[in-house]
Amino acid sequence: MEPVISCTGISKSFQRTLVPISFLQDRFLHPLRGAWRVQALKDITFAVEKGEWVGLYGPNGCGKTTLLRILAGLMQPDSGSVDVRGTISSYFDFSAGFHDERSAVENLYFHGLFRGMSSQEIRSIIDDIIAFAGVESHQDLPVKCFSTGMKLRLGFAAATHMKADVYLMDEVLAVGDRAFQIQCLEKLTAMKATGASALLVSHNLQHLKRVCDRVLYLEEGALTHEECVHAVAH
Amino acid sequence: MSRPFTIAHSLRVILAMGWSDFVLKYRGSFFGYLWSLAAPLVKFLVILYVFGPFMRDAIPDYPLYLFLGIILWEHFTHTTMGCMTMLHDKKSIIQKLRFPRILLIFSVGWTNFIIFLTHFCIFLFFALVLDITFTWTRFSMLLIFVQMTLLALGVGMMLSSFSLRFKDIPHLWSVMTQILFWLTPIMYPYSADRPFFEALLQVPGLMRDISWVRFLDIFVRFQPLSVLIHDARRAMIFSPSQAPSALHALGFTILCLLLFSIGVLIFIRRSQSFLQEY
Repeated sequence: MEPVISCTGISKSFQRTLVPISFLQDRFLHPLRGAWRVQALKDITFAVEKGEWVGLYGPNGCGKTTLLRILAGLMQPDSGSVDVRGTISSYFDFSAGFHDERSAVENLYFHGLFRGMSSQEIRSIIDDIIAFAGVESHQDLPVKCFSTGMKLRLGFAAATHMKADVYLMDEVLAVGDRAFQIQCLEKLTAMKATGASALLVSHNLQHLKRVCDRVLYLEEGALTHEECVHAVAH
Repeated sequence: MSRPFTIAHSLRVILAMGWSDFVLKYRGSFFGYLWSLAAPLVKFLVILYVFGPFMRDAIPDYPLYLFLGIILWEHFTHTTMGCMTMLHDKKSIIQKLRFPRILLIFSVGWTNFIIFLTHFCIFLFFALVLDITFTWTRFSMLLIFVQMTLLALGVGMMLSSFSLRFKDIPHLWSVMTQILFWLTPIMYPYSADRPFFEALLQVPGLMRDISWVRFLDIFVRFQPLSVLIHDARRAMIFSPSQAPSALHALGFTILCLLLFSIGVLIFIRRSQSFLQEY
């Protein structure tokens, strides 16, 4: 069986001037200024099989989100290759890219459009997303009127209700209150049962072990080891 | 990857996003859309009051001449600046979802085109009031709409491609547009003694013994925005016999298309780095 995600030898570094903004004059002054450089990812190689749920565990700043962004096609690696077979739904930085001035319904509509869905497809799932996130009372208000928890729930609901072959999710189980976290785990379990694959990122190992088949350990930009796990009941 | 973006779906995204941005722009403000009229109207009234007495004799239908020049200028500056501010306004989407970034540029073009069309309707109303004769040649303005959009988006894409990396560019461009405003025949006459492309062939000869005055004269005459605004006036205000020739229209459309294509190539190439340049 062919893996849905395979990445080989991915490396990524970031470089910025010590003053964290760019000016035209940096071009000319560059040799005189110090530069901050960090190697975010070092020679990452792994694969995710169809239907497999893989966790990516590591401390803050170890390169988890960078790796996820590269897999999602949002960022190019310096070297190495990424091969993703199928459609992707991603959830980064506790949000789904909503515009504060637009209502929940408008945001969900554009979210779907940017994922390549037709208007009919989007309209058919909007009510489910709103209901899952529990924001029916606020659905026509601008998102800026939502509490932080409501925004997080709406983002998670949008990312998980979009049909995809692969789900890439960053700190997805840190969303909302305890009741919503249980709801999230149930949703993730249901998604797993459909045969979709996922790569979940977290710095909470217990969360990952609840839903993942395998956990990869990332430290200072390098994969150190992996662990096969059996999902534990919450 | 995401689902493939077909042309039909891309068009749906551009139209929906552009219209939504137009609505969102004025949502919650008391005067709403009327704000889009404020800047060109104030500029028009001030220039008409200050320069009108000197220009009325030299330029027939000067109020129309001036108003058309101003709304075309406003479209160009708002579109080019919009292409740069879009990268910040749509930051949350750009950072989270994978899709062709160029669709956001085109949606900026659509939003500004809607605003321009409303201004153009006001122009048409005054043209009717002032008894401008309407003939089939006036429809050549449709091609000028296309040229105007290609030119503004082409320049806008070139600027926005580098505006995240070099934060000075939006500031630099706002200063340059102030200079460009005076180097575009918006309030003064455009001097053309022969067809544009024929005159263009004379430029190498004119460049000999170049002085600042001659350089500025050549720049004002041949910079694309001057030609575009002059063509729009020839199409809509001057007598039908002065409408742009088919050959001229074709040549200028190719030039605008070339600038647009260069903008597209640069933008697509640079858009891969946007995420790490925020």
